[in-house]
Amino acid sequence: MLNNFERIRVCPDILIIMRYGILFLAGFFLLASWGCAQRQPVITANAPSLEADQGQENEFDLLSDDFFSDDPSAHEPVYYDPLEPMNRVFFEFNDKLYFWVLKPVNTVYSAILPLDFRYCIGNFFTNLSAPVRMVNNLLQGKFSDAGIVLSRFLINSTLGVYGLGDPALVDFGLEAKPEDFGQTLGVWGVGEGVYLCWPIIGPSNARDSLGFAVDVYSHPVVYVNDDMMVSTAYYSENKINLLSLNPEAYEDLKKYSLDPYVSMRQVYLDYRRNKIRDKEVTQNVVDEL
Amino acid sequence: MSVKRFFIITFCFFLCSGLPVALASLGPADELKPTLNKIIDILSDSNLAGKEHKEERRAKIMAIAVKGFDFPEMAKLVLGTTWNNIDQQQQNHFEELFTKLLENTYIGKLESYSGQEVKFEEERIKGDKAKVSTVIDNNGIAIPVHYVMLQKESSWKVYDINIEGVSLVRNFREQFKSILRKEQFAGLVKVLEEKNASFSTEDIE
Repeated sequence: MLNNFERIRVCPDILIIMRYGILFLAGFFLLASWGCAQRQPVITANAPSLEADQGQENEFDLLSDDFFSDDPSAHEPVYYDPLEPMNRVFFEFNDKLYFWVLKPVNTVYSAILPLDFRYCIGNFFTNLSAPVRMVNNLLQGKFSDAGIVLSRFLINSTLGVYGLGDPALVDFGLEAKPEDFGQTLGVWGVGEGVYLCWPIIGPSNARDSLGFAVDVYSHPVVYVNDDMMVSTAYYSENKINLLSLNPEAYEDLKKYSLDPYVSMRQVYLDYRRNKIRDKEVTQNVVDEL
Repeated sequence: MSVKRFFIITFCFFLCSGLPVALASLGPADELKPTLNKIIDILSDSNLAGKEHKEERRAKIMAIAVKGFDFPEMAKLVLGTTWNNIDQQQQNHFEELFTKLLENTYIGKLESYSGQEVKFEEERIKGDKAKVSTVIDNNGIAIPVHYVMLQKESSWKVYDINIEGVSLVRNFREQFKSILRKEQFAGLVKVLEEKNASFSTEDIE
């Protein structure tokens, strides 16, 4: 068996190339997105500026929608998807992957592990990624939320037995504050860029893909163990577990939509924008205090 | 003295005449609550549960829903500029199809939720639009659902449903745009008919 030093010497090039390759691709997409989509989505651009009510203003972005405008130019797309053909190919791939691999695996997985166990496993994974959330809350200036993430981590790691339970929520009422680097970039004003549907990982956009790459490197598991296989296994197990807790999600999407690819794209983009906008709302509320 | 009394009486008169008008227009949440509660009651009625009673149940729900939900407006919004390019008959047909689609998706999904309690959290009004926030319980998981409403002729009706920032109408609009681009209106109508048919065959299986 090779020890760590020998392992690194034997296959350094591939790992290095992969790492730089991923970073390069991510940087490329991000730069490409600066050109395309620096502008804010149409919804927030239409929000009139009432100085009196800044905190509530962003909540009302729903209502400032240009739905009622008869002006054709107001109906321009609120997303960028120039890579649609490629994305659709990957979407089909993911669809096959789901029905041929993920669903059968999930059936077995759910049969073997009781629901409570799977909730515990989910909690465990969530707990381990606390540093990522804390850093991102701090980067967005949400200091009280960062404090809550830290408290949750400490409480769940101790009282919750290494993160398997969630007494922080159940007994202390501390809600999770999920943040990732994609959202941080969004709060800093980076446009979302082109829509991307990655094989396996699923829907994303240029900015969030870069965010994902950064999150991978800021996650503790990468530093505890150098092996790419371990990280991959960790990520896969997390996703399988999540799927087992929400088994109908993808099939419902297919069932209730006429064009599942577009539906997923729209759900993803709307959901991400909402998560970033929420930050603006809470920040304004804090500023007013 | 008499001039003062005159003014007091006039003032009271105007107050009283204003009152019935104020009572006549209810707030958006007040109009939504009975609609949703009636729908929930039908859904939790065990006499109407199950596939055998699906038609009866859906008919009852839709009778209530058309009063609280503005389906014609939604159909128009969802089609965008294409609405202006089709004739009256096509518009009516599309409205019918889209209403049926909403019934199959929104009501169909509601039917699958257990704990059928809807909690009303808050209401925000801005001009003739409003957002009513509710929370529905599904196996212990609370899902926040926002109803976006429009006031037409002093009654409030729902024209969009928003869950965690994902808008139902906008989602369908984007899907329809994509289909319209490739297959035009006729193609869209065909896809809708097929989709609606798939819901009824799936229940027969």
